[in-house]
Amino acid sequence: MLLKEKVAIVTGASRGIGKAIATTFAKQGAQLVITGRSSAIHEVASELSTHGERVVAMQGDLREPAHRREVVMACRKTHGRLDILVNNAGVLIHGPLGMTLLESMRDAFETNVTAAMALTQYAIRLMSPARDPCVINLASFAGTRGQEGLAIYAASKAAVVGFTLSTAKELASQRIRVNAIAPGFIETDMTQALPEAIYRTMTERIRLGRIGVPQDVANCALFLASDLASYITGQVIGVDGGLLA
Amino acid sequence: MSQTKLARCFAEALGIQEQAVTDELAYQTIKEWDSVRHMALVAIIEQTFNVMLDTNDIIAMSSVGKAKAILAKYGIDCDAA
Repeated sequence: MLLKEKVAIVTGASRGIGKAIATTFAKQGAQLVITGRSSAIHEVASELSTHGERVVAMQGDLREPAHRREVVMACRKTHGRLDILVNNAGVLIHGPLGMTLLESMRDAFETNVTAAMALTQYAIRLMSPARDPCVINLASFAGTRGQEGLAIYAASKAAVVGFTLSTAKELASQRIRVNAIAPGFIETDMTQALPEAIYRTMTERIRLGRIGVPQDVANCALFLASDLASYITGQVIGVDGGLLA
Repeated sequence: MSQTKLARCFAEALGIQEQAVTDELAYQTIKEWDSVRHMALVAIIEQTFNVMLDTNDIIAMSSVGKAKAILAKYGIDCDAA
């Protein structure tokens, strides 16, 4: 068990990559606080509890400051500490730049950037330097290399990369490791909502010949969260099947 | 009692004697209370009093006296016996 006696918060865990990360962590012995906007988060918590570890579900919107505080307070109340924060919750905004509403731009940055940064502010205060704590942020290939039709999403994920690199330097003195995962094209509800043209173009570019699955990303998150990665910080790791190779 | 608890928080976080913790003790007026120790202080206060401070309050907590005033907003009376 790579995460025995570790306590983790995983945001956006009701489906897709977040659910895969939470499930993988639970199977590896982690105690969890999971968040999600829909009531499905409670069903996920019930499923994960069968692995024998404590799982607390927090339903709400991380764009709300009060909810962010509640999540971290719940973690402290239930577990008394925090070892791993996974900032996964996000929204995918797609469409031509000229046809993207200002409201959508704000939503992308509020959810993908501001919520993650503000939650991290709270979360690191529960982390102990002695327990090899870490933060894992979900970026995107679009945030490191850009992608037409995804300008706003890409910009928000580029901000996540900048946040990751900067906080890795700032928090190293507290022994908190900060890394990002930049998934490529992963089969989720979010990517299935993309226009057919973008979907087809993206899959054709994947050198390993298959679209990624959430478990591919979860495996990377498990590695980064575990003691196996105790000397790794300030990295953005692509999980993209060679999409950018 | 809470006042003693608060003094203990400052003493532990800053690595100073409890007797040195007065209402007038202010941020960055002693070498022990720098920005790094300030965040350690916040973590200890939050743990001790079971609160989660807003960032505005963390920035505004520039003295022991102000810490008391801020904690009062969260329903904690540091001057209570």
